Amino acid sequence: MRVGKIITAVCIMLVAGLMLFGCGGEEEKSAETQKATTPIKVGGLIDLSGPTSSVGRPYAEGLKAGVLYVNEQGGIEGHPIKFDLQDTAYNVQQGLSLYKKMVNSDHVVCIQGFGSAVTEALIRSLAKDKIPDLSASYSAHLTDPKKAPYNFFIAADYSTQLRAALKYFYSSWKKDRAPKLAFIYPDHPYGLAPLAGGKAFAKELGFDIVGEANVSLKAIDATTELLSLKELAPDFCWIGGTTPSTSVILKSAKNIGMTDTVFFSNIWGSDENLPKLAGEDANGAYSNQSAAIYGQDVPGMKVIEKLTNNVPQMTHFTRGFVSILVMAEGMKRAAANGPVTGETIKTSLETLRGFNPMGLSPLISYFPDDHRPNMAVFIYVIKDGKLTFVKEEILARRAEWLGH
Amino acid sequence: MQGKCGLFFTSYKDEAQIFQSGFQKIMIGLLILVLCAAPFLLNVYMTSVMNLIFIAVVGAVALNLLTGICGQISLGHGAFIGVGAYVAGQCTLHGVPFPIAILAAGLITAMVGMVFGVPSLRLKGIYLAIATLAAQLVLEYVFLHGGAMTGGSNGLLLEPPMILGFSFDTELRMYFLLFFFAAAALLMVSNIMRTKYGRAFVSIRDFYLSAEIVGVNLFWYKLVAFGVSSFLAGVAGGLWAHYTGYISAEQFNIALSISYRAMIIIGGMGSVLGSVFGAIFIVLLPEVLNAVANGLGMFFPDISHYIVALREGVFGMVLILFLIFEPEGLAHRWRLIKAYWKLYPFAH
Repeated sequence: MRVGKIITAVCIMLVAGLMLFGCGGEEEKSAETQKATTPIKVGGLIDLSGPTSSVGRPYAEGLKAGVLYVNEQGGIEGHPIKFDLQDTAYNVQQGLSLYKKMVNSDHVVCIQGFGSAVTEALIRSLAKDKIPDLSASYSAHLTDPKKAPYNFFIAADYSTQLRAALKYFYSSWKKDRAPKLAFIYPDHPYGLAPLAGGKAFAKELGFDIVGEANVSLKAIDATTELLSLKELAPDFCWIGGTTPSTSVILKSAKNIGMTDTVFFSNIWGSDENLPKLAGEDANGAYSNQSAAIYGQDVPGMKVIEKLTNNVPQMTHFTRGFVSILVMAEGMKRAAANGPVTGETIKTSLETLRGFNPMGLSPLISYFPDDHRPNMAVFIYVIKDGKLTFVKEEILARRAEWLGH
Repeated sequence: MQGKCGLFFTSYKDEAQIFQSGFQKIMIGLLILVLCAAPFLLNVYMTSVMNLIFIAVVGAVALNLLTGICGQISLGHGAFIGVGAYVAGQCTLHGVPFPIAILAAGLITAMVGMVFGVPSLRLKGIYLAIATLAAQLVLEYVFLHGGAMTGGSNGLLLEPPMILGFSFDTELRMYFLLFFFAAAALLMVSNIMRTKYGRAFVSIRDFYLSAEIVGVNLFWYKLVAFGVSSFLAGVAGGLWAHYTGYISAEQFNIALSISYRAMIIIGGMGSVLGSVFGAIFIVLLPEVLNAVANGLGMFFPDISHYIVALREGVFGMVLILFLIFEPEGLAHRWRLIKAYWKLYPFAH
């Protein structure tokens, strides 16, 4: 019976705790709101413990470093940014309730988001509450303001990245036959998102699409899937997965002797961890990136190096940093014209034209009817176990590509 | 004036009442009043948590009807909720009024559920669990590759529910809509338990062979259990779809099925009240853990990240502890607490 009493006691404590936490939410320091140093509140909804936390954590560190930097530089017209980082664990329900708390109880004016599932589930709420969300989910359909008016991100969307890479490979193709192309992707919204757009553009360019294969994000071996692709002898092979699945594909490809094929991967499919996971087999693999890598010779990297005491950070870190820089720029423009609210941040962001985040990413512009930040992608290749910059490929901003 | 010292019934009809005493009726009335007043007193965030609880209650009571009352395991309820969400979403996108869309969501999900419930005639226990797991996987595939029907990897964007020109576009308005559906679902399952069907379900759960011998048509009743349970799951899905305004295949994965399973285990299998407790518990668990983590974070900076990372572990531990110490769930604990106060101070 003692166990029963303990359980009863725990239940009572839980209920009591809930009541306390329910009562505590609404305190507002109204006296301080008049002061010039009132912080501008920003919420962070990042996956810190879920399936994408291995990239979510460095991204969150980048966000924190960005906030630190902006505040060191004097904040937004003297107002510091107060960043409340919370863990969504890639769970929609959790993301939703955290968002409601941030917007309604904490009164944040902007969200830094992460992950397709949560970002997409918030589209409607963001538009209703007029809160911009700069997220790290680069699905093309989030760039159409007709569908997602308050969603922004700082990297080219997945489809644009794939198209840019295709353009790069096509222009560097020397042989007198059409290059053969194959797609490897997980059967997952993230893997499928850029596929239709990429295939259409590949045909338009003159690629010969020879085949495709499904490799799960959790795969531990891809030999079976790749054996059938090997028969088709593609010259180029797109990998639309995450770093672990890319490493599995590269290793399996090397095992079965698929050495003549050039593999290139999506933005989340390759980072500093790829050479660690795939070892030698990672060399020669291309990838799309949207941010400078640590130590690259651009002005912003000096700032990051100083902030991080020269401890190397992943490219996701840099993207988080850029996301804060872009948001801060929007806030500064909003502050110059009046109060900083979600709505003014949105309209100010839409005035950005070729904003340069200290060279850390391609130039960023948003338009009221087009939230594609740019049409550019950094192409990197792994050489001797290191990500090495190859080229910045820029596409035309075609209207028919918006949202696809 | 002397009252009765217990509840005594002279007819089966009296005994089968949902609310057996005047006191119970008064308390339920008070609870409804409190719940109606609650959103005006709570902040928007708390209201949104309540809304999530209401949706979870509908889903949990649906699964409890199937698993707790009829004894049929389903690992596919996450996907059934998804079917409801997509059907309701497509209906309202095509201009069908919201109440009819919800009804259609329920009916079509019921049909889907019954199709996947057919193996239950032959399969029991873990085998049925695997068969319904297949339903989960098949349906997830359909959600992702459904083309225009499901929006594929882009998902579907929906408008807030609209009934007779009145739009439920705020948390407060949604609260009353969801409260109504949660209450209706609870009332529906409570009433089913009092009917011939309810008794048949319980007899199948307790021992299928005895049930068959006394004349229960196993196949039919199991199928009805799948149908009714999926109907409610579909309604929960329709509500979820219109509450969030966006649905995608990722939302209705196996984790959702497991979280609903956890709700009925923690709440109490076979108890309508247990479904409510379980839904409240599972929805609030992450909120409470977050609050604790943030509270501690004030005193120990950076500790919150370690605590939130422990959340999944805490979730698993809570499940194990419940299975060991409280296998009958929170509903059982609630009965003990009630009994304690009823006999106070003369327990034993």
